[in-house]
Amino acid sequence: MNGLEIVRHLYAWTPYLLGGFLWNIAISLVALAMGTAVGHGLASMRGATRGHWANGGRLATALLRNVPTFVFQFYLVFMLPEALPLPFSLPNLPLPAWLKASLALALAVAGFVSDNLSRILAKPPSERRRDLLLLLLNWGNYFVIIVMASSTASVIGVPELISRCNTVVNAGGTTDMMLWVYLYAMGWFFLFCCSASGLIRYCSRHLERRLGMADLGQTEV
Amino acid sequence: MKAAPSWVSLLRRTPRRAWAAACCLVLVALPAYGSGQLEAIRQRGVLVVGVKTDYPPFGMLSSAAVQEGFEHDLAADLAARLGVQLRTVGVSSTNRLQVLDDGRVDVTIATLGDTAERRQIATLVEPDYYSSGVALMTRPDSNLQHWSELRGQTVCAIQGSYFNRTMALRYLLNLQIYANGRDAKMAVRDARCRGWLFDNTAIAGDLLSPEWHDYQIRLPPELMTPWAIAIARSERGGALERLVGDTVAQWHRQGTLLALERKWGLPPSPFLAQMQVLWNEKDADGRYLCRRQADGQWPVVCRNQIFVMSADVVGLRRWGLRLYEKTGINLTYIYDDYERREFLHGIAMTLALTFSCVTGSLLLGIALAWLALRTPPAIGAAVRSVALVMRMTPPLLQIYVLLFGVGSAVAARWGLQFSAFWIVVLCLSAYTGSGLMHILDNEAREAWRSTPGLVLDLPGLLHLMGRSSASVTASLVNVAKATMIASAVAVPELLSVSTSIIAEHGNVATMMNTLMLFFVLLIFGVLHVLRRLQSRGDHERA
Repeated sequence: MNGLEIVRHLYAWTPYLLGGFLWNIAISLVALAMGTAVGHGLASMRGATRGHWANGGRLATALLRNVPTFVFQFYLVFMLPEALPLPFSLPNLPLPAWLKASLALALAVAGFVSDNLSRILAKPPSERRRDLLLLLLNWGNYFVIIVMASSTASVIGVPELISRCNTVVNAGGTTDMMLWVYLYAMGWFFLFCCSASGLIRYCSRHLERRLGMADLGQTEV
Repeated sequence: MKAAPSWVSLLRRTPRRAWAAACCLVLVALPAYGSGQLEAIRQRGVLVVGVKTDYPPFGMLSSAAVQEGFEHDLAADLAARLGVQLRTVGVSSTNRLQVLDDGRVDVTIATLGDTAERRQIATLVEPDYYSSGVALMTRPDSNLQHWSELRGQTVCAIQGSYFNRTMALRYLLNLQIYANGRDAKMAVRDARCRGWLFDNTAIAGDLLSPEWHDYQIRLPPELMTPWAIAIARSERGGALERLVGDTVAQWHRQGTLLALERKWGLPPSPFLAQMQVLWNEKDADGRYLCRRQADGQWPVVCRNQIFVMSADVVGLRRWGLRLYEKTGINLTYIYDDYERREFLHGIAMTLALTFSCVTGSLLLGIALAWLALRTPPAIGAAVRSVALVMRMTPPLLQIYVLLFGVGSAVAARWGLQFSAFWIVVLCLSAYTGSGLMHILDNEAREAWRSTPGLVLDLPGLLHLMGRSSASVTASLVNVAKATMIASAVAVPELLSVSTSIIAEHGNVATMMNTLMLFFVLLIFGVLHVLRRLQSRGDHERA
């Protein structure tokens, strides 16, 4: 297979692969939304004046932070039904594999948000503004990491980018294209993640200048 | 006939009762036709065997409308050993046990899976003589290697197969259900699904036909169910059961079944190969290991393990089976010797992966930071670019590129095989190591801002690492959490081992809870060790 053929082949499959990548982003966004909501709840618990609420929040956060997403994904797929029966003759709530992948990823997000937000909430309200902006940037960076982690949803059968790469490789029937299909997918992740973190860096510089703050620094998660 | 003496005494007492008794005797004797059936067969001089006529090559009609096949040959051998004539009766899946009860046949040899439900209806003779499972018939160009590759994929099946649900749940298959095998095979041919999920012996029969001969069964059969010869329920523990059992044992020992398998063009069955070894095994005294014990039973190791109860065994196995019988919690990875070994191996593999990935990430992080900060700017920039690619692409994809993309090219050109274990360690270490480099790079920039001209040699780098120890620890915990990715490329770590135990026993909840508990404890353990190291480092710096 020569270079031109490879390009033509990849071009032909691009819309299909793009559909897969949209799944990655959708899974990540849902995970981010769920995780942030739960993380916010936990951070509020940790700031509570009652001791056992605060302890409960801390313990739950430690657990969420340390549950391995990859295994938890399997756990949810095998242990949760395909649809959740609801009371009062409501229709069943479907639990497709992608939602289970999102749930698994949301765990880490919840731990991250709980940790960062509880630190901020401990401060007096007047000093929170800078930290909240900083959290927003960190949160953006975390999204990039979640997008990369969403690729593991392929092993539970979600039709995201890597899963669709496997389909493309199988459809060819030969292994010639394997390397190129995977490299192509890698290129997509790289471009998306680089531009997203570039955008975040740009925002952080902009904020730095506007708010006259010291270096907001790079975020590590 | 155990009931006979009391009936006889009744007969002697009163003539009227004798009539009633005679009627009852006839009624009772009909279904109990089997009692002393071996004697009846010998007197009659004919053995009547129920065989299939619609299941090639096990039981079918020849072009001259004569019954023949693998099981027909077994029936003939059984009759020859008894020294009687053979007469076969065609039976179907629905009536093959019924005909035993109403006395139309003496023995049924008709692709009958050995299950608990059927043991209630008839006497299923041990040892089992063959075994079938669920296989996938795939197109000639298929390159499937593992069942797990089918997760989320469309697979064809036919209505009413008992294994549809189990297989769909275990391998997360998207089943496309057809009314019959013909339609399902057409769907496979037209690439509407990855393959047809069906009994492996039936598919093996199809593959013998000219139309499907280049199609394949690539994956090892799952949900293996041994096949048993059946006799009437009333014959349990009787002479006929003993004779048939001894005959099947002889077939295993003498390779009769293996020879028939070759004769009928069946693919080699691992079950038959295992059984031949097992039934020829001898103890220290030179006697067969599998020989009848005082109670007439075979030893536990020679029996169908599904039907071994806690009362049959001792020690750990007894405890495990009793727990299973009482609570439904099946801890096979504790009481089953083979699975315990696999499970422990899986734990060792997981610990080795975790240790290698954490250490590898740390070393690679320091090495990359050293290269980026200590070499001429051009090299530094190149190192930073490479690290950026490693940091901004999913490790799973890196693993696929190296193992399948580069790996298959290398294998084709130089015949070298990459080790999946080390590829996983390399990719995860590269992903995390480049993240660590990034942290150190930023720390170095901070340090240079406050102390221009600071020399960042190795101790300097370690000092920087100490300053950002919280981020470093978080990254290392993350890589420990990610090591289970290795199961995606068939490294036999704990997740892989657990999914294969689930595939064997279906103890989903037990295995999944065990797995979660183990991994959460492992991650807390890693966190604990890293924090100890961190505080020791802080202490030394202070």
